[in-house]
Amino acid sequence: MRLIFKNLNILRSIINTINTSFEIKEIVESAGNNLPNLFEFSSFGVLWKAESSLYLFQEESCPPSFTQEVAGNMARVFSVLGEEPDDLSRITLQVEKRKLRPSHMVMDPKATLKSYLVLPLAVGEEIIGSISLNSDQPNAFDAQDLQFFSVIGYQMAATLKHFQRFSTVKTMAIYDPLTTLYNRRYFEERMIVEAQKSFYGGSFLSLVMVDIDHFKKVNDTFGHTEGDKVLQEIASLLKASVRKKDTVARYGGEEFILILPEAGLEEAGMIAERIRRLVENTLFELGQARIHLTVSLGISNFPGHHARSKEDLVKMADQALYDAKRGGRNRVCVFHSIQG
Amino acid sequence: MTKEAKGGKWTSDLVLDLYSNLLAEVWEIVSALIGEAILELLFNLSIKKMGEKYPFLNSLVVSEEGISLVGTREKYRNLPPVDLHRGFQSLINHLLNLFSALTEGVIGREVFPKVFPRVREAERLVSQK
Repeated sequence: MRLIFKNLNILRSIINTINTSFEIKEIVESAGNNLPNLFEFSSFGVLWKAESSLYLFQEESCPPSFTQEVAGNMARVFSVLGEEPDDLSRITLQVEKRKLRPSHMVMDPKATLKSYLVLPLAVGEEIIGSISLNSDQPNAFDAQDLQFFSVIGYQMAATLKHFQRFSTVKTMAIYDPLTTLYNRRYFEERMIVEAQKSFYGGSFLSLVMVDIDHFKKVNDTFGHTEGDKVLQEIASLLKASVRKKDTVARYGGEEFILILPEAGLEEAGMIAERIRRLVENTLFELGQARIHLTVSLGISNFPGHHARSKEDLVKMADQALYDAKRGGRNRVCVFHSIQG
Repeated sequence: MTKEAKGGKWTSDLVLDLYSNLLAEVWEIVSALIGEAILELLFNLSIKKMGEKYPFLNSLVVSEEGISLVGTREKYRNLPPVDLHRGFQSLINHLLNLFSALTEGVIGREVFPKVFPRVREAERLVSQK
């Protein structure tokens, strides 16, 4: 009985994370992080028809052949449901790997799909996708697993349908229209999730604050239209410089912020330095002119800098950015607690 | 013409009774596992598919409450019992295939023991001399 209560609490928590998610990537990640408390599985998949995407959250030792088998099986089951095609080439695969098992239980490189549960994600008569739990172990799932998994499926279907209905509103609410980066509001929401994961889970979390040097001069010299082009180009450079799991947002004006989950100081430093060099080496075409620009960057890290809250972490990155500016710009500074 | 069974009840009615109970039982077991809405969807998919060959199946009404055979009884009670039996049998087979495609043996393990004796009983009913 106690186990059932425990499982129900985990289920509640998963449903809550699905409910409060803003996009499918976030749903897959938050649900995926919680699912190992409820099921023993190798891979968790969400196929979303509207995007023709298959998101897989799986054990890091999952061999590629297993991933392909899972993807193939989900496409096959989807077609059994009378839905579109058994054609994998049309589905974009997005794989997120995490350590779901202890080291002594890593998957065999030749592991094959031995058991699975697939459920349609349906709203009324409309099938909008499917979800799956997959394992390299035979008979890995039982009737109770199916019951719990179906509850997750119902919630996920409702949330994805909601995303579809409000995709335009959502786009306006979370993206910056000029740069198409996430906006500050989304950054704040994402920080709640990442900080919670990190502060309670004990994983690294780094922030990088980026500011374009002498941006006012660009606007004054070339006009705001050209200034906007600079913001767009730098936004593209930022997006190209980070990992898939990172979040890049426009923080305001010519300031950007990067959330780097599971990145220690060294890794965050490498990413920040890569951005600095990339911008420094880019030639910006503004009207008839071609100019070089630079950026300053400030880094903060959990647990390295002993931040007690997400606000602390932002303030620390901001302070480090201030140090980079004061130190002569075009540089990366890491927060240090004794200022002066 | 349908045959008359013991107690004066037409065998078509008996076949309908039998499958009505069987479908209700399948509904009860499977809805507890995957919920009414998904099950309703799977039933409707199966009815649509099998209704092409056995049109009387389109008279089944599925909702989150379960399956109603009221319309089927009104319109199709004069169908030969063997046709009713074949139609329902194909519907159930299709459903079981769907369950199996989705969850391998998890649903099947719960449902098979209930389904097979009933289908055999229906076979016996329609083949009674």
